[in-house]
Amino acid sequence: MRKSDKLTYTIFFIISAIVLTFILLPLARLLFFLNPQSASVLKDRSVLMSFWNSLSLSFITAVVSLVLGVPFAFLMSKRSFGKFERFIETIVDVPLAVPHTVAGIALLFILGRRGVLGALLYNSFDFKITGTRVAIVFAMLFVSLPYTVDSAREGFKSVDPSLEKAAVVLGAPLHDIFRTIYLPLSKSSILSGFMLTWARSISEFGAVVILAYYPMTAPVKIYDAFTQYSLSTSGAIAAYLLLICMSIFLTLRFAIGEKK
Amino acid sequence: MSAVSLKKVNASIEKFNLIDISFTVSKGEILVILGDNGAGKTKLLETIAGLLPIKSGKIEIFGKDVTHLSPSKRKIGFIFQNLALFPHMNVKKNIMYGLKYSGVKDKNRLFEEIVGTFGIEKFLDRFPQTLSGGEKQKVALARTLITDPQVVLLDEPTSALSMKEKERIDMEIKSSLKKLEKPAIFVTHNESEAFLLGDRIAIMERGEITQIGKSEEIFYHPTSENVARFLGTTNVFNGTVLKNENGSITLNVNGEKIMALGNATKDDEVTIFIRPEDIVLMKKPCETSARNLFQGKVVNILKKGSLIEVEVDIGFEIVSFITKGSLEKFDINTGKEIYVEFKATAVHMVKNQKKKLNL
Repeated sequence: MRKSDKLTYTIFFIISAIVLTFILLPLARLLFFLNPQSASVLKDRSVLMSFWNSLSLSFITAVVSLVLGVPFAFLMSKRSFGKFERFIETIVDVPLAVPHTVAGIALLFILGRRGVLGALLYNSFDFKITGTRVAIVFAMLFVSLPYTVDSAREGFKSVDPSLEKAAVVLGAPLHDIFRTIYLPLSKSSILSGFMLTWARSISEFGAVVILAYYPMTAPVKIYDAFTQYSLSTSGAIAAYLLLICMSIFLTLRFAIGEKK
Repeated sequence: MSAVSLKKVNASIEKFNLIDISFTVSKGEILVILGDNGAGKTKLLETIAGLLPIKSGKIEIFGKDVTHLSPSKRKIGFIFQNLALFPHMNVKKNIMYGLKYSGVKDKNRLFEEIVGTFGIEKFLDRFPQTLSGGEKQKVALARTLITDPQVVLLDEPTSALSMKEKERIDMEIKSSLKKLEKPAIFVTHNESEAFLLGDRIAIMERGEITQIGKSEEIFYHPTSENVARFLGTTNVFNGTVLKNENGSITLNVNGEKIMALGNATKDDEVTIFIRPEDIVLMKKPCETSARNLFQGKVVNILKKGSLIEVEVDIGFEIVSFITKGSLEKFDINTGKEIYVEFKATAVHMVKNQKKKLNL
């Protein structure tokens, strides 16, 4: 290897090390909060409830994102929107670029008691949507749906088109082709979209806090503890949330990785 | 009534046009569509299958107008260039895929029968990625033929195989199509494959069929300059087998002896194809591994884009492609004495007994 090549590699390695440290250091520091003393926060019912809210509602969000996102992604991968294709692809990704508090405010104008949907539900069923778990799912879905749609779309696009043609000529109707060819061959893309949506939903704070301060999700609880109690309390809750998220994330990642 | 009939079919796919395509395929016949890459062969097949829409014209299959029918209702079998085996299903599931929709009764008996015909009992549980090229071919054929299509369309299915394997698989495809009496349209860009498989050959260029006829007619009596030019890129000769020594074959072509490799017995009539790029020109004879060396006279030199076509008379006229650079270096002129050589492996040989098939 040439001397200058060696130097290039060395510099790139150093930069990579800096990036890894940048990610790991704060997280590792947080893990120091995982000790017998801090475990007392887990005895607080409101903390446990906030964890449960975060995990369950984000999971529901991810499932909803599959139901809504996969058929939509399929149409996009088939270029069914003609000349609107680029436009629609951009719209789907807009939530990724919208500040989450902005998304929360925007949703509030729809779901609030005077909003279109909010008013309808309030007047017909006497159901006030803000401040409920339904509102939390709406907030989570708005900001995390793009991950499922994008990932599934890329998965569908990567399926060799001749496989569909073969199935068509063999007589299969579209719903069978979707079920027996496209879904199984895009499984890992769809699952990774599902995981990203789930993970993104757990972490959502901005949009959720505007639509529903209560019932509290874990990020809201951490913020609440940060402002009302002490840094160490919020640090402890954060550390346990990190632990839970990491274990789910790593388990799923390896489970899907194995299947590949 | 013909098995397939196209009447003035016009189609426009992206910027490519199929222009006034008309031909028929009779019962049990294999029609080969021969053309260069980009001639529109695949698009034509997909049009017939209904995978691409047409602008005008009529497509009939066994007398039934299918022009506006969906692909699944046309009763067509399609073998794709990449074979399109479902990678996430084992061989058995691949073959069974179309059965569900074909309305065939007694599916299991049919399955056993087709599996037996193609000898694929041994790898029913394996996945396509683990199969050899030849095995994949069989699975693709079985998957298509089990649905009992009225016509089979084949889109260069052997293009991924080696030359040697290709010939064997081609013969297998041909014999299974003939055995089941399936009319077929086979697309290829390879002249010797066209000659081997086709009862008739249609030449396709830039979206048009420029000539259609029996193989011999096409190769020896091209009706248009275009077809002649297309086929002119290949050396085609008739010959007789003089002897066969363990697959090493000596042929008599116009009184000259040519060495080739293959399967043939003494006195067999054969047609041989030699690609011009496989023919080497030399000023002086020298010892090489090539088995065929001839002395001849340059008859004609033609510029064809970046390539130069040199015609040499060595008892018969043979064409070689050389580059501009070597023309200048060699200083070749019309009338000059020159040596021509090519390897025995460059000679693609096809037997002429087209009517007799070993089934």
